[in-house]
Amino acid sequence: MSGSVEAIIQESSMSPEESAALARDLAKIVGEEGVSTKMVDRLATCRDFWPLMGVWFVEGKVPALPDVIVWPKSTAEVAAVLSLANERGIPVTPFGKGSGVLGGAIPLRGGIVLDTKLMKRVKELDRENLMITVEPGLNGALYEEYLNRHGFTGGHFPQSVRCSSVGGWLACRAAGQLSNRYGKIEDIVVALEAVLPDGTVIRGPKKPRTSTGPRIDLLFLGSEGTLGVITEATLSIWPYPEQKAKLSYAFDSLEQGLTVIRKIMQAGGRPAVVRLYDLDETAGHFPETREAEGRCMLVLLIEGDSTLVSAEVKLAQELALEEKGLDCGEAPVDHWDERRYNVSLSSKMIRQGAVLDTIEVTANWDNAFTVYKNMREALLNVEGTALASGHYSHVYPEGACLYMTICGFAPGDKTEYYKRFWSAAMEACLASGASIGHHHGLGLHRGLWMEEEQGENLKILRRIKQALDPKGIMNPGKLSLEVAEKWQK
Amino acid sequence: MAEIDRKLLLDCALCPNMCRCECPVDQALGKEAVSPTGKARFAHMMLEGQLPWSEEFVEAVYSCVGCKGCETLCPFEGLELAEELRLVRLEAARQGVTLNSVQPYLSNLKKYGSPYGSRAPLSEEARGSKGAEVLVFAGCTTVANNPASLEAILALLDRAGVSYQMVEEYCCGYPADLWGDPELARQLAKENVRLFADSGARKLITNCPECWLTFKRRYPEWEQELPLEVVDGTAFLLELVREGRLKPAKVEGLEKVAYHDPCVWARYEERTEVPRELLASIPGLKLEEAAAAGKATRCCGGGQMFQLASPAGSEAIARRRLAEFPAGMPIVTDCPFCREGLKVEGAEVLELVELLQRACCGGSGR
Ligand SMILES: Cc1cc2nc3c(=O)[nH]c(=O)nc-3n(C[C@H](O)[C@H](O)[C@H](O)COP(=O)(O)OP(=O)(O)OC[C@H]3O[C@@H](n4cnc5c(N)ncnc54)[C@H](O)[C@@H]3O)c2cc1C
Ligand code: SF4
Ligand code: SF4
Repeated sequence: MSGSVEAIIQESSMSPEESAALARDLAKIVGEEGVSTKMVDRLATCRDFWPLMGVWFVEGKVPALPDVIVWPKSTAEVAAVLSLANERGIPVTPFGKGSGVLGGAIPLRGGIVLDTKLMKRVKELDRENLMITVEPGLNGALYEEYLNRHGFTGGHFPQSVRCSSVGGWLACRAAGQLSNRYGKIEDIVVALEAVLPDGTVIRGPKKPRTSTGPRIDLLFLGSEGTLGVITEATLSIWPYPEQKAKLSYAFDSLEQGLTVIRKIMQAGGRPAVVRLYDLDETAGHFPETREAEGRCMLVLLIEGDSTLVSAEVKLAQELALEEKGLDCGEAPVDHWDERRYNVSLSSKMIRQGAVLDTIEVTANWDNAFTVYKNMREALLNVEGTALASGHYSHVYPEGACLYMTICGFAPGDKTEYYKRFWSAAMEACLASGASIGHHHGLGLHRGLWMEEEQGENLKILRRIKQALDPKGIMNPGKLSLEVAEKWQK
Repeated sequence: MAEIDRKLLLDCALCPNMCRCECPVDQALGKEAVSPTGKARFAHMMLEGQLPWSEEFVEAVYSCVGCKGCETLCPFEGLELAEELRLVRLEAARQGVTLNSVQPYLSNLKKYGSPYGSRAPLSEEARGSKGAEVLVFAGCTTVANNPASLEAILALLDRAGVSYQMVEEYCCGYPADLWGDPELARQLAKENVRLFADSGARKLITNCPECWLTFKRRYPEWEQELPLEVVDGTAFLLELVREGRLKPAKVEGLEKVAYHDPCVWARYEERTEVPRELLASIPGLKLEEAAAAGKATRCCGGGQMFQLASPAGSEAIARRRLAEFPAGMPIVTDCPFCREGLKVEGAEVLELVELLQRACCGGSGR
């Protein structure tokens, strides 16, 4: 039926009779139109935007097909679907917008894909307490549009804002491009509602912090669908920024730029956007800025209340000049703004046979540069790699996220080359004392390094998983909580 | 004839759906398969022979309302996804697959020259003055769904002293072209060109943006040279108001209206001021803008005749769009598809010509 499309890492699936029977039972919960066993829907939800999926797509391969897709419209429906699946031991993979970049939404063991897209209501806008409560399937750009129309901002702008969901952000611990001012999604979230595999609904307090024991709801942050389904989120919001200021500086070295942003953050400054590019990326992004030639560009966007903005601008200017930064004006910031959602190059490169990816890791200031140097070197040493460049884009008083971009032409099998450069990157990262992930999550692929990253903690996480999901129905094979039989390093 | 740009289509199939927030079909239906990238992926897979040309997959490439929402955000120069999908539908038809839901309308087109079935002959009044310079082209959807708007434009022309004529027109060819039968589209176009030439008219005015677009964009492609100038009906009426030949007066009991920008006018033509100026010419009437207005408009559910191809999908899109209008006032638009599309949940929707008729002719009279 699927023509010559091959599902190459599928671990198990149902017979057509079994999936038809399951669909009939699910239809009793979500209605006929809320469930599908059609190949068109199975193919559409069989993957996310893990860049390797693009390579496989061109090769006519898919990872693993779900047997049934279900579109619940409420928490009650999610609970009923999960109870049924749990009773029968059927795998369930939550699916937001499928923009994840590590294979998190791939239904390795078939079963049910639970698509949250019809759960997209805004439930409450709380103007006085600056909070909003929404359903998980709401599209990121439409979430921000809603807030803007009411005079607020959500402050969360991942590059994928137009193609990702609120639930996906929370499930992956996402970071927006303005995270330095507004925080990562884990800082923005106030409380969650989630459904456990047995149908139990848990809810966190929509209160300004609590000291009432561990927060069960917050366990779902970064859980990537392995513990249950996030069905509602209450998030902080801000008044729409009154003022914006754009600054940019070019430095002779990456280290000088790092010193400046460290000092800004440690002095209490919170520019919304902080992006420090290495030589290659500076040359690629800012060829028209003469001062930046042979240097490293730092782009800053400061926004918010006008008094605070002026103070932050002054701070940034002073610190940048101390490190001999060359003032490049507003143009580089505008250039970043205009191009910030343009990812067309990656389609073109994959179409032309390249293999590429981005790997974001996080390090303390004392080794932020070393990690870059080591990862870059390791990546360039992998045969086939044409480019390994980096920038720092999410910064904290204690350190920074380093975002590496890799592009190469496989000397042989593309998937093998892909695995090789990832291994090189992960090993260099771990050896340099950094953490292997900052905001894309682990999904299937980075999950393979969970043991090295988490050590003993992984055992505890597996026990938590066992306690909440004893039959292991939720998104099996991810985060190394169980072994993915057909996907190894 | 244009050909599918396979490279751009593959680029789109590899794109992480960077425009999906603006795709009304995606947002209303919530299905990955009909997301912009989803549509491109299925198109690519069928073209590559990885998937069979079957109704199930072809339906995905029919799930487009042609609104250009994706293009407002798309970084790929020259990519018009709706246009690529149209070409893929032509290929699907060559492969023997046309969506079942549109088959009856295609049969009607072949039999009656209108997707909606047989058309009553024109009344003497509608025929107007033989040989008149202005030819009014009603369009099948107007005739089938809202003849009152045709009445309105004729009444307004009468009122302004513009002599007009109508002919026993054929469908402009738009649906046949959308649904994979370019030969039929071309035949219909040919018939129309013949009628227009025989009429001696020099100007064709139509209030159907889809007909207008078909004349402008497709007729040259089909090598059908139009013997007259094609003019947008709303713009024509605005000229009459500017010249003082139409004098809108206050419409009793109507103080506020909202306006819905049809995709063809706002996105294809970037023509958003004409209806606003016309509305502003009606004394005592205030326009309240929709949350997404002008070039940022969103589809009514009726684009690319989605009402016929997918009635449930079309309604879901309309509900979503309706939520963007201020409550408690009629919605005015200037497209018969938009009017039909938005008429869900008891919304009061009227065409701009109908409103203008009330303002210029009083009541609904001439
Ligand atoms: C071009 C591009 C740019 C990107 N830029 C950024 C960026 O700037 N910052 C960033 O942080 N990320 C970025 N990402 C990664 C990705 O967009 C994020 O991980 C996003 O949060 C995923 O959301 P989604 O709705 O698409 O989730 P999906 O891909 O659908 O799912 C991701 C994971 O979460 C699980 N999941 C989804 N919804 C739920 C739910 N309601 N309950 C439980 N589990 C759920 C899924 O099972 C899966 O494991 C980018 C991706 C792309 C393609
Ligand atoms: S239309 Fe453009 S932005 Fe939208 S999915 Fe295709 S390539 Fe991406
Ligand atoms: S033209 Fe409109 S309906 Fe078609 S893919 Fe683009 S946004 Fe979606």
